[in-house]
Amino acid sequence: MVGKDDSFKTDLKRARGSGSAHHGLGMWMAERMTAVALIPLGLWAVYSVLQLAVIGYDGAVDWLQSPVNIVLMLLTLAISFYHMHLGMRVIIEDYIEHKPSRLLWIGLSAAASLLGAALALISILKVALGGAPD
Amino acid sequence: MVQLTLPKNSKIGKGRHWRAVDGANKKDVRTFRVYRYDPETGDNPRWDTFEVDTSKHGPMVLDALFHIKNEIDPTLAFRRSCREGICGSCSMNIGGRNALACTKGWDDFGSTITVSPLPHQPVIKDLVPDLTMFFAQYKAIEPWLHTETPAPETEWRQTPKDRDKLNGLYECILCACCSTSCPSYWWNGEAFYGPATLLHAYRWLIDSRDEATGERLDALEDPFKLYRCHTIMNCAQVCPKGLNPAKAISEVKKMLVERAI
Amino acid sequence: MEGDVRTAAPLLRVDGGPPALQKAGWRTEPQSPMPQVTADLQGASRDASAARTPGSRPLSPHVQVWRWHPTMVASILSRITGVGLYLGAFIAAGWAWALASGREPYDRYMDLLGSPLGVLVLLGLTLAYFYHFAGGIRHLVFDAGRGLNPKLADMTALAAIVFAVAATAMVFGVAFVTGALDGLI
Repeated sequence: MVGKDDSFKTDLKRARGSGSAHHGLGMWMAERMTAVALIPLGLWAVYSVLQLAVIGYDGAVDWLQSPVNIVLMLLTLAISFYHMHLGMRVIIEDYIEHKPSRLLWIGLSAAASLLGAALALISILKVALGGAPD
Repeated sequence: MVQLTLPKNSKIGKGRHWRAVDGANKKDVRTFRVYRYDPETGDNPRWDTFEVDTSKHGPMVLDALFHIKNEIDPTLAFRRSCREGICGSCSMNIGGRNALACTKGWDDFGSTITVSPLPHQPVIKDLVPDLTMFFAQYKAIEPWLHTETPAPETEWRQTPKDRDKLNGLYECILCACCSTSCPSYWWNGEAFYGPATLLHAYRWLIDSRDEATGERLDALEDPFKLYRCHTIMNCAQVCPKGLNPAKAISEVKKMLVERAI
Repeated sequence: MEGDVRTAAPLLRVDGGPPALQKAGWRTEPQSPMPQVTADLQGASRDASAARTPGSRPLSPHVQVWRWHPTMVASILSRITGVGLYLGAFIAAGWAWALASGREPYDRYMDLLGSPLGVLVLLGLTLAYFYHFAGGIRHLVFDAGRGLNPKLADMTALAAIVFAVAATAMVFGVAFVTGALDGLI
């Protein structure tokens, strides 16, 4: 925060800090590329939820036998979880200043996203490949 | 963790109330709520209220501040110089938005006008913020022409078309209205360069005479120095010169993309 | 930034100590009246002038005084809806898990989603989704260097909010017609 440093560091020293990290473009682009992908996928997901809401268990299992539905479902889930991990990371970096805490929260968010994604993808695959219990 | 409230030493108390002089026409009287902080006492800041007879001074908020300083309370401190929007000294928060006091008319506001220093900065006294970091960041982007080619005998030549690219950028007067309007700059003011500095960074990036474009981009590609900009747009909303730092930053991000693909 | 401590530094370097050592550039313990000066400086930095050192200056008001623009509202809404959808994604993962676990867990999960609270959550998520969707497209346009005129950006901010409400109403209208909300009645 501005004005917090009581040391004898010069102003330029503080402004420069440790210099540039020489990255940031990659994550920024990834957030935007996943956003672009989620434009059609998200709309498809809304449409699918409306369908799935009324067809019950057997209908949902049936629905997940269609290769198109499987692929779109897997893509939507995987890209969503990646996108939300990227977004949450930016939020954490914005609001949590203390570096160890920042790293901890980014790690926790990444782990949660990864677990959520793994659970969702494996479950979908299991049903899609005919492993749904009767 | 981000602190949305003011720290303990910055909480603003109630200050003095100065009533309008007798005989002032009621419809001319406006109330200025002015942020006051006195470093000599070290007491917490306070809101002083001045009822001002606006018929006694000019049309701008700066005129009102001069009137207050000359006629009511000579201890009021604020920066000012050119009184015509070119020096960038009298930038402050007026009615909840950053502006130059010399180009902002008090009749743009209702009967009560709140005047405080540029937001989220350390306050030296009253309306005078400490902009040390702001100017150090400007310095850090090395705002001058970088060349290796020996200087020509006359001047570095530039086509009119290339010169036009500097329009909307070179007019910046470094008043800090934009940077101190930016929530990202509020929360990460030391790590994030802020809109004004990034606008100037772009001004040198697209200067057809500058030979350090790559190094400049290298120095900017950082999750904090550049990418803390989330296009909140406060900068463009408040710029008293009508410039658009958000657009300039967007162009810097585009240059980084174009370089990589 | 001229803290008192910093202006004091040169004072400590003048006189004091045997001339020979001074000449050699060595500093020794300062003679009087230097101890006096040092003490004063320490006192000063503890007292009133402590308020003048950069670290203890008050912070000027920010969100306390700011008058919001539509663009600023749009920005924070993007963030809030993003966090909401982050949580919502786990509801989707839970749905997939329930489906893979069998008929009974799936029916229970769907009953939960069809309960008044569940529908309320889904309503919030739909609203969040459509806002984040429209706001996201708006930002993609920004990133292409377009739509950054403040007045236009104010308008697109409001348009994103209107779109979110309208699209949510439409989706819930469809849900009502198809019978997806029948559990509520």
